[in-house]
Parts: sequence; C-alpha cells; structure tokens
Amino acid sequence: MIPRRRNLRLWAGLVVSLSVALLAGRLVEGHAVLKETSPAANSTVAGPDVAIQLKFNSRIDPSRSKLQLLLPDNTTAPLAVDKKASPDTLVSKATGLKPGAYKIQWQVLAPDGHITRGEIPFTVKGS
Amino acid sequence: MAQLLGIFSFLVVLLRAAILCFQSITIGGILFFAIVARKQELRREELWKPGWKFIRWTACALALAQLLFVVANTIVLTNSAEVPLQEALGANYVFAGVLAILASITIAIYSSTAKPQRSPWIALIAAGFAIAASVMTSHSASRMENRAVMIALTTLHYLATASWIGGLPFLLLAMRRVTDTDAKAAITRNFSRQSQISVAVLLGAGIGMSYVYVGSWDAVYGTSYGVMVSTKVILFCCLLLLGAANYFIVRDMGVANPVAGKSLMRFAEAEIGIGLTVILAAAALTSQPPAADMTEDRVTLPEIAARFKPRMPRLSSPDVKELSESSNELYRQAAAAGRKLPASYVPGQTPWNTDKPADRAWSEYNHSWAGLIVLALGILAMLSRSSKFAWAKIWPLTFLGLAVFLFLRADPENWPLGPNGFWESFAVSDVLQHRAAVLLLVLFATFQWMVETGRLKSHAAALVFPGVCALGGVVLLTHTHAVTNIKEEMLAELSHTPLAICGIIAGWSRWLELRLPVENKSRKYLAWVWPVCFILVGLILLDYHES
Repeated sequence: MIPRRRNLRLWAGLVVSLSVALLAGRLVEGHAVLKETSPAANSTVAGPDVAIQLKFNSRIDPSRSKLQLLLPDNTTAPLAVDKKASPDTLVSKATGLKPGAYKIQWQVLAPDGHITRGEIPFTVKGS
Repeated sequence: MAQLLGIFSFLVVLLRAAILCFQSITIGGILFFAIVARKQELRREELWKPGWKFIRWTACALALAQLLFVVANTIVLTNSAEVPLQEALGANYVFAGVLAILASITIAIYSSTAKPQRSPWIALIAAGFAIAASVMTSHSASRMENRAVMIALTTLHYLATASWIGGLPFLLLAMRRVTDTDAKAAITRNFSRQSQISVAVLLGAGIGMSYVYVGSWDAVYGTSYGVMVSTKVILFCCLLLLGAANYFIVRDMGVANPVAGKSLMRFAEAEIGIGLTVILAAAALTSQPPAADMTEDRVTLPEIAARFKPRMPRLSSPDVKELSESSNELYRQAAAAGRKLPASYVPGQTPWNTDKPADRAWSEYNHSWAGLIVLALGILAMLSRSSKFAWAKIWPLTFLGLAVFLFLRADPENWPLGPNGFWESFAVSDVLQHRAAVLLLVLFATFQWMVETGRLKSHAAALVFPGVCALGGVVLLTHTHAVTNIKEEMLAELSHTPLAICGIIAGWSRWLELRLPVENKSRKYLAWVWPVCFILVGLILLDYHES
C-alpha cells in the first residue's frame, strides 16, 4: 500500500508530466483558414492595380491583422487593410504593379487569440 | 518570425490545455461543494478544508495560465504584425484573458475564507465568468453562422466537463478523507446523479457541436479535426465504462463495503487520468480548423483502404546515401559555404522538398522493426500472465532492442551510419535528444525488468510503467495533427491515433490491475487488456506504410 502523501505526489507528477508532454507536440496552426481568395493562388491577373480579397472560415480581427506584398525583387510592401469589410474578410488593393511574380503574405488574428499566416502566389501579366 | 510563430503555436496548445484542465477542476470543485455536498452535514471539516485549498491552487494556476496566454499572444502580435501595444491590448483574447484572471483571483480569495455555513454563490458567479471567458476564445465565438447556438452548446459542454471530470478529484478526496460512512454514501450517491446528468448534457452538446463543426461522415475520417473528435468519442466510451463500473459497485455493494470503497477510488483515479487526456485532446482540437471548413484535400475511404491494406512489412532498408539531407545538415552546409538559405514565411514549412522515396522506405523500415519488437513485447507480456511461462517476465528487456534500434537509425547522417563522428554528432540538438531517449529507454528497460522479476518490490515503482504508457499515448495524440488536410499527414495520423489510444488504454488497464483490491474480479480481465494493446500496437506498426 502506498502512503497517502506519496500517492498524491504520484498524481501531481502525472498531471505535470501530461502537461509537459505537450511540449513535445508538433506545431499546429490556429484555426482561421482561407476559404476563397482574389486573386486566386497561382493565378495570372492584369495589372497595374489588383483588388485583393481574402475570405476566411471564421471571424477575424482586421485591426490586428496584416497584409503585405512580396515583390519580384524579394522586398515587401505593406498593404492597407479595409477595416469596414465583412468580419470574415480582409480587403485591400495593390496599385502600380509591374509584370512579374508576387506573393500576398497574410497574417490574421482570430477572436480566440489564434494567429495564422500564409502566402498566395500570383503573377501580374504584361500588357 | 516564422520560428517565433511556430514556438507560439505549440505554446498555445500547451496553455490552452492547462487552462481547460485547471478550469475544469476549479469549477468542478465549486460545483461539488455547491451541489454534491450542498447539505450542511456533508460539508465536513475533513473534506471542506482540503477541498477549498485544492480549489485555491487550481484557481491560481488557472490565472497564471491565462496570464501567460495573454502575454505570449501579445508579444507575438506586436512583433509579427507591427500592432502597437495599446492596440493589441484591445483584442478580444485580452478582454477574455483579463476576465478569466479576475474570476480566478476572486475564486482563490473566496476559497481562503469559505465557510461551510455559507453558500458558495460568490465562487459560483466567478466560475460563470471564467466559463464565459473560455467560451469567448473558443471556436464558437469565431463562427459566422449559428453563433448563438454554438456559444450555448460550448458553454454547456464546458460546464458538464467541469461538473463530471473536474468533480472527480473531489469525490476521491471525499472517499479518502470523510470518515462517516453515511456522509460518504450520500456524497457518492449525489455525485453519481450529478455525473449522469453531466454525461447526458456532454453527449447532447457534443452531438450538436459535431453536427456543425464536423458536418459530414466523410469529414470524420477525412480530416484531422474529425479524427480527433472520434478519438474523444472512444475515450468518452472508456470513461462511461469506468463510470458504469462505479455505478454498479455502489449499487450492489454500497460504499461502506471496504472492497467497494477501494475499487471506487481506483476506478475514479483512472477516470481522472482518461478525463484529463480527453481535455488535452480537446485543447488540441481548439487549434484545429473545424472539419466542416476543410472541404478540400480530404482523405477518402478508398485512399484509406489502399494505404492500410495488409502488406508485407519492409524489413530491408535503403542505403543512407539515397536519403534527403536533413534541414540541419542543409543549414550547416550553407553556413560553411557562406550562403544563406531562404527563410519560410509560414511556420512549419521548409522552402525545399525533402521527401524522396528512399526517405519513405527508411521510415517504413523503422516502423516495421519497431513493430516486431513491440509485438514480441506484447506476446511475452501475455505469456508472463501464466505461471507456466514465468521466464517471459523478461518482456521489459525488449525495450533494449528499441534503444539499440533508435541509437543506430534515428540520425542517419551521424555515427555509425553517416559522415559525422560520434562526438561531433552530440553538437546537434536533435541527436542529443535522441541519445537522451536511448539512455532513458535503457534505464526504463532495466527498471521495469527489476519490477517484473521482483528485484524491485515497491508498489510505486510498479506504477511507473502504466504512467509512461498513458503519457506516451497522450504525447502521440497531441503530436500527430496534420496542420491542414495534407493527405500524407492525414494518412500518417490515421495510423498513429490508434497507437495513441492503445497506449492510453494499456496504461490505465495496467494501472487498475495494480491498484484494484485483489477481491475485485475486474483485475483478472484487465491483466489481459494491456498485453493485447501492445500486440495491436505491434501489428499496426508492422503494417505502417507511407505510400
């Protein structure tokens, strides 16, 4: 028979271990996922101005979300987010784009506190 | 920044798990004293004092976990999205976090002044705020459709979990500390009734939430979220079995019977363990997108059938030279050549492809041999149940085989297979971790062999093995989620999840076998459950394929 005190210590150890075990867990993403995008991933669009719309599966916090454009020369340009759009959508506009390969880099904050990010590659065709 | 976000991603799961566990126990304790022990004669000094002390500790832990969640989230947000601190502090998660912290502190303060003569209504109100804060950061708060219904169902789900799983430690406390037999019987009866109602509510709310979040049968097996919900259902059934065992013990023998009383406590221990595992699985679920939202790239039944069709295990390995170089090695080579490799914007992704057929063959070979070793372990453990095969008690030594295997195969670019020398390889953190795991396996094999063969007689030492099994199951359960519906990851998850469930069942069946009083007939059956689980693990590993 295990003494009560040691028994409790065993339990406490087990609970702590279970929590620590999670540290070994692999990375998991937050749950705001993209449902529709414009421009679509890997699409070719006409420039120089491109309307951007990203629709997510859940509400997001546009004030604390971020959009930026990765330019063909590998530098980034911030994109202003329209804060009056639908609660599940990020809306912006890229202007003056020259022909080339671009990536929209997005990061959103969901109301549950999860931060998710991703990329949408697209190409602007020459006139 | 991608690395910071990556670290943050698993910090979120860790903190969410801690928040759900501490929240369930704190609120479970308050409900226990408000409902189960509501009568004055049940609020006995020997239960009341340690009970509220435990609530105070879990409330403080809840406040700390919530604080860490808010701080970690804010650091990442201000650094990754260039959001000013003042603006970040206005986010929903900050409001919810502060609300939960205030509620937890209120509970902690109340618990130090709680009197048996008074109703714990202040603690109940604070518990309501803590639940509300948790619901505000659940999937339900983010939904575009059926938001109010989902919020209501989530609230009920949290409450029922707290009332049942969170109340169990207090039932255990009552069984241990309360000396009056009538009071003990009344507490057990009341808790049993409350648990039955909680189970019904949990089931109803769970079905409603699954209907919306999972949405269809093909999402049950085709998405990561669906697989985790199925796992929760299986573990819920295990909990129901344990609950039913308790119900029949109380009904047939009464708590006054010493065998019944002891059995009740042992089953409650396993219930708490599996209950916490379900809560941890729920924490992993909160960071998964609902299955209903993941409509593309789901795994189909024919794909599952093709992958899991029994095939010969792979017992020959590809050559080390055919394998992809590891990320560490690529970074090392680039640094030596003065080059800079491209960084990934999205955490967990690599900008280069490291998946070659030889990599898959290497992994399949590793799984097959690990399967053979675990199968041998299971068969020996089963034989050791019979006195005719007493020699089979050496079954823990099979872990030495796993240790040797891990030592040789885990890091192919290092000694003895790769170009990096024995001592040089210790400089790589992954290798160091693997070598530490090898050492632990050797120690564990020796330790458990001493326990099985009677060289180590401590009862506490015997409990290490079931604890490790259950822990291993939990690690596997929280470790194998596909980030998105990438089919290969999902198919791997479909094979790893049953391994996790087997580990959890093996651990708790062995725990009960060791802990139940000898007069309890269940021990006889439980003694067969865990070796069967190991045999199943061996067979699943033997049939593991990646193509």
